[in-house]
Amino acid sequence: MTTSSSDNPGARGRAVAGAASVAGVPTGQGSRSGIAWLGEGSQLFILSVLGIGAFVLLMMLLSFVSELFGGGGAGEAVDPGTGTITLALSTEPPQLDSTRATDMVSGQILGHVMEGLVRYDEFDRIVPGVAERWEVGGSEAVFHLRDDSRWSDGTPVTAHDFVFAWRKAVEPATASQYAFILYPIKNARAVNNGELPVTALGATAVDELTLEVRLERPIGYFDKLVAFPTYYPIKQAFYEGRDGRYGADAVDLLYNGPFVIERWVHGAQLRMSRNDEYWDHERIRLNTIDYAYITSDVNATLNLYKDGKVAVAGLDAETLHDALEQRWKLERFNDGSVFFIEFNHRPSRLTSNRNLRKAIQFVLDPAELVYKVIKLPGNTPGESLFPVWLKGVNGYFRQEYPAPEHRVDLARAHDYLERAKQELGLDPLPPLIFLSGDNPAANKQSEYFQEVFASRLGIEVKIDRQIFKQRLAKMTSGDFDMVLAGWGPDYADPLTFGDLFASWNKNNRGEYANSVLDGWVEVAQSSLVPEERMRAFDEIQKIIYDDAVILPNYERGSVFVRNPRLEGVVRRAVGTDPDYTNAYIVDG
Amino acid sequence: MNAALSFRPIVAERDVEVISRPSLSYWRDAWIRLKANRRALVSLYIVIALGLFTVVGPWLPFVPNHSAQDLDQISSPPGADRTATIVEPYVPWSGVTVNAPGGQAPLEAPASVSLAGEATTQAVRIFWDPVRGAHGYRIYRNIAHPAPDDALGMPLADVLVPSRVSFEDRLDIKPQEYFYSVVPLDRNGREAPVYATLDVSAIRVITAEEAVKRGLAGSTADLAIGDQVELKLHVLGTDYLGRDMLARLMHGARVSLFIGIVAPFLFILVGILYGSAAGFVGGRVDQVLMRFADFVVALPFLLFMILFRILFKIEGGDSGIAPMLIAMVILSWPAAARLVRGQILQIREEGYISASRLLGAKTPYLVLRHMIPNTMGVILVTITFAVPSAIFTEAFLSFIGMGVAPPTPSWGSMCNEGIKTMLTYPHELIFPALFISITVLAFNLLGDGLRDALDARMRSQE
Repeated sequence: MTTSSSDNPGARGRAVAGAASVAGVPTGQGSRSGIAWLGEGSQLFILSVLGIGAFVLLMMLLSFVSELFGGGGAGEAVDPGTGTITLALSTEPPQLDSTRATDMVSGQILGHVMEGLVRYDEFDRIVPGVAERWEVGGSEAVFHLRDDSRWSDGTPVTAHDFVFAWRKAVEPATASQYAFILYPIKNARAVNNGELPVTALGATAVDELTLEVRLERPIGYFDKLVAFPTYYPIKQAFYEGRDGRYGADAVDLLYNGPFVIERWVHGAQLRMSRNDEYWDHERIRLNTIDYAYITSDVNATLNLYKDGKVAVAGLDAETLHDALEQRWKLERFNDGSVFFIEFNHRPSRLTSNRNLRKAIQFVLDPAELVYKVIKLPGNTPGESLFPVWLKGVNGYFRQEYPAPEHRVDLARAHDYLERAKQELGLDPLPPLIFLSGDNPAANKQSEYFQEVFASRLGIEVKIDRQIFKQRLAKMTSGDFDMVLAGWGPDYADPLTFGDLFASWNKNNRGEYANSVLDGWVEVAQSSLVPEERMRAFDEIQKIIYDDAVILPNYERGSVFVRNPRLEGVVRRAVGTDPDYTNAYIVDG
Repeated sequence: MNAALSFRPIVAERDVEVISRPSLSYWRDAWIRLKANRRALVSLYIVIALGLFTVVGPWLPFVPNHSAQDLDQISSPPGADRTATIVEPYVPWSGVTVNAPGGQAPLEAPASVSLAGEATTQAVRIFWDPVRGAHGYRIYRNIAHPAPDDALGMPLADVLVPSRVSFEDRLDIKPQEYFYSVVPLDRNGREAPVYATLDVSAIRVITAEEAVKRGLAGSTADLAIGDQVELKLHVLGTDYLGRDMLARLMHGARVSLFIGIVAPFLFILVGILYGSAAGFVGGRVDQVLMRFADFVVALPFLLFMILFRILFKIEGGDSGIAPMLIAMVILSWPAAARLVRGQILQIREEGYISASRLLGAKTPYLVLRHMIPNTMGVILVTITFAVPSAIFTEAFLSFIGMGVAPPTPSWGSMCNEGIKTMLTYPHELIFPALFISITVLAFNLLGDGLRDALDARMRSQE
């Protein structure tokens, strides 16, 4: 619609020109003589009134027509009769092959239709999933599978299904971006690099119901790790029967979780219904979860909520005021991820200069960003790479090892900037490229940073707005100086953040390389003593501040409204989020 | 009576040959006719005012830099109160800690909630009486009283340490009334069905250093704590980053008017040359040239615009104005070319052209003396109609993010930003939208008036 009304200004010009060429027969004359007694001024007035009136009428007609045709689409947001809830999904999952899924939406859907060896319960504790019990000790883990866990085609879930899925994930041909999460398993890295055959992977099915895993080295959090989607099982016979289309559509998936995908209309709808083959199906109280709308537009979703068409809607700073006036009950949630400015440390870039990075660090005030620009409760000013909710030795990591203290200091910033200019031999500095997402929130933040750099340091930045996929591609190829990036946790251990800037990590897209930091990451990976590991994370935290590897902006939170009749929705930082498997509808 | 006497020889009247009124040139006549058309005249004044607004506007004393962010006055509508009180710089608050009283459910509401210090836009600090058996507290803030339907508003934070009974709010505090509610939480982090509310009126404050930095006072010595200063004036309010709307509108007009005037001028120039060549030469050449023009008409503008962006290696962060201009010039000339060709074809067959030719006029003379002046009216009219169309195209492309790069504003991109806060801060959308509408309307009405004034055939009908 936008293109057709706009793409051809030539067409507009032609139409006008045509009228001009026949001006010898003035078209407006009849009307002019008709209301000549009114005078030119009032004529204009009457015409505008008529125009506005016609416009209003047209709008009313259009809204009436849209009621006629759009009203029948979805029923009530929460329907106790059929046990159905209707929701909006922000984007469609690209595909649902668990070995290749990387994004949060895929993780959210997979968490409803699949089940791993273990899962998180509503209090975020690890509870048995397909595995009935397990022993993790030293560099070996044994999982004993329950005998009543079945695929949606009725066949039992076996240890072979896990071995097949894990081998698939580390197979070089799969090119899974999340293969690294299986690296704690013996030989996984070598298999993934093509140095060993997939059969060398240290996971074996001793019998149908016993899965034995040999680890590279003893790690204390392997049971938390296997709740991650890449560790979900896949049935080999089914996978090979789909001929490369596994996970592409509703019929191309075999389910072992609480729900199955009943209907998947690409770009429009994704409906899940309860899986009666699921071993614990009595736990599930909803019959259908219907993602009847796929839109990332906050305003559109909120309007759907207002009309009672969806049960949950997220809010942003702009819609918050409206929600307050509606006197809705608002909920807040911290999704556990950390957002920061990541520098490009490749030697060819100006930002590889530490003094320049320090100068930028000392003009930034995350509190100002969060309280004045983002303005959404739940976001907290970023102080460290490690978010506040991570557990330390006894309590929270950040209470045991506080983040380095930071305060805006313009004098120091200019000091650093002068030194940077001298070292680089450049004055003034050429514009820096500031890579950012292309969404309202990212636009607002990047323009704020642009002005902060310009007014406090005199550094000019060019904002490069890119969609998520393109931004990742540019980050990988190093086509930026600074980038607005974020990292969400994969498992509930500080290491999920701690190894991010290790020189070998593929997600270290600024290519920061520091042997001291690498050393501490190795300590954190291999040690089994909590005190030693936490001290290593503290050292990493200090290096990241002292060397200005990244500049933390905020820990992300969100505010949302929920239909009061829908209860039991679980929001969590690590694992499936939001989780509707325990949700139920209350009468009222 | 002598018949001869009844006849008197007439006196030769010399006045017959005198032209009683000064002769009117074509342009003078057009001007008089334009002046008689009130609509067109008002439009002309608006266009002139717009030019002044763009060129002179940014130099006016009350117009700040268009990209400067006034974070104390974010999204403030025009005419908002600007009084601020000078306070000490912000220092972190250690909060209030007590010995958490043990005990068990049911949880009761805190006996009282109180304010620590003064409630300012810098921070609002509240503390409350500990609740027996509470494992934490959740703090809400609302813009209206929670009673009667227990609408507590937005959840600001959870305090998950039972001994901590205070909270400092710094989240986007506006100088207005707020209602803070404290809800005790049980062992599992669930809310108790009770709460206590505190009514707070925050005042707008600024530190002395900030005031000096913003140019609100000469030096910090002139200011004492508690003094009142007026924050910077923003005539049309500010946008979502506290930038002055008026300055941005003036700056944005530059882009809009630049595209709106340069693009039509260029493509009509191309159109005149192309069209007059086709029309004057005629025959097979005319056929070939005009079929090529038809081909250009079929090319989609948006697609070309994107191709040019790639061709020029326009990355994000660079302005997309140049490819926009080139795409417009390359794709929009056929309309003008056809029009001019039609006129030239018509004029070529006129009697005076044949007469002129018979009298030995050469081609350049014919074109310059007869043809171009006679098509001038049509050309001018086309330009005035092409201008609003070009302004509109620019606004649209900036609206979808293919135009200017931040921080440069344009009316279209300002609309795009304003539409997100349409319901809460309507002024951010209304002003740029109004400017686009008025400008496009003014150029259209002016074009209408010019057409009436310049077209010779209109005269006989009035």
